[in-house]
Amino acid sequence: MSSRDLIVHYSTVGVAVALIVGAAPRAAVAHHSTAMFEAEKRVTLIGTITDFQWTNPHAWIQVAVSGADGKSADWSFECGSPNTLSRQGWKPSTLKPGDPVTIVANLMKDGTNAGLMYTVTLADRRVLGPGAQTVAPSSAPARATVPVR
Amino acid sequence: VSDVRTPIATEGSFRIAGWGVAALLTAWVLGASAQSLPTADDLPDWSGAWTRSTGLFYESTPEQALEPPPADSPRRRPPYTPKFEAIYEQNLALIGADRFPDPISICGTPAGWPRMLALPDAYEFVIRPEQTWLLSENGPNTVRIYTDGRTHPAPEDLWPTYTGNNVGHWEKDELVFRSIGLKGVGSTILGRNGLVMSDKLETTTRIRLIAPDRLLVSVVLTDPEALTRPWPVAFTYTRLPPGSTVYDYACAENNRNPVTSDGRTLTLDRSGEVIDKLE
Repeated sequence: MSSRDLIVHYSTVGVAVALIVGAAPRAAVAHHSTAMFEAEKRVTLIGTITDFQWTNPHAWIQVAVSGADGKSADWSFECGSPNTLSRQGWKPSTLKPGDPVTIVANLMKDGTNAGLMYTVTLADRRVLGPGAQTVAPSSAPARATVPVR
Repeated sequence: VSDVRTPIATEGSFRIAGWGVAALLTAWVLGASAQSLPTADDLPDWSGAWTRSTGLFYESTPEQALEPPPADSPRRRPPYTPKFEAIYEQNLALIGADRFPDPISICGTPAGWPRMLALPDAYEFVIRPEQTWLLSENGPNTVRIYTDGRTHPAPEDLWPTYTGNNVGHWEKDELVFRSIGLKGVGSTILGRNGLVMSDKLETTTRIRLIAPDRLLVSVVLTDPEALTRPWPVAFTYTRLPPGSTVYDYACAENNRNPVTSDGRTLTLDRSGEVIDKLE
């Protein structure tokens, strides 16, 4: 791993393990500053979907993640707009409460239980998100599927 | 790129010619506005939905629009006057402190012209003989370009707006228009990278297809208060597959990132409570 790599363990019971992967600053699109997120680090979290808000200006994924103390914590992950997500192959029904997921995200710098979603791995091993190579058949060329400002 | 018949003005050429070129461009746009209207059959096919396929303002030189540079190529700075170079430096410091206010973080505020060229999500370019509309899904942004032979309003009838006053004409299959009456620093920005212009900004824009599904938008920014010389930028857009849908972008629907009066972006949980650990 490079000097930017990091491993974080959120649980000793095997429910949530975090692993940093290589990071890039263009994680997703936002209508606001993304300075609150760690641009240089991404963490992997394992948990269970509690809510999927298919809303503008951003969709949000709520995930129950078990901490090191065994208690479940509510995590919020910001996504692109439903418009952007739909062109990347997402649907409002892509995530349902109770679904097990693995999420790679740029977490908030201040330690808040929230982050900017980079990829979501579903139980059937499908990987979605701006970091995934999955491009919907109706999508534009690869560079345009991760638009930036 | 299958069609590059009309050379695009480069930053180097403007460095030599400077404001004289801008004056000629302006006179050319205004003078040509009196020509006869095209019919609908004369107009090109810009139908459907489009997505931006080039980068941000400071990485969108005319050359880069045609041949995008590697992702790690250095970003360039506009030819700022000392006053606006200082403003830009201040903005960079604010960005570093997460205090650079982005007007469009206030839901309902348009990105305005020309920032609306560099947004995520889809675009539509609706053309009629007398008028063209540039629509961004990530809005609200509707840029109306009048090609019905009118001229810009008299100064006393013109006030700054987000999308400005846009008057132009068709040169065969290329739309050419001039934009004035724009809001400047304090109301609009060119991007969250800290780039701003003054309310003296004027732009001359040319739009044409360079391939059946690729649209080139070339813009020359002139701003005697902010720039020492005209600054050319360009963007390309790729047509989405037939049948693609453009959706609402209702920013206020579930905005979990309000911005404080001092420019800090907050994060709310699903019940609307601030979850940032505020110092």
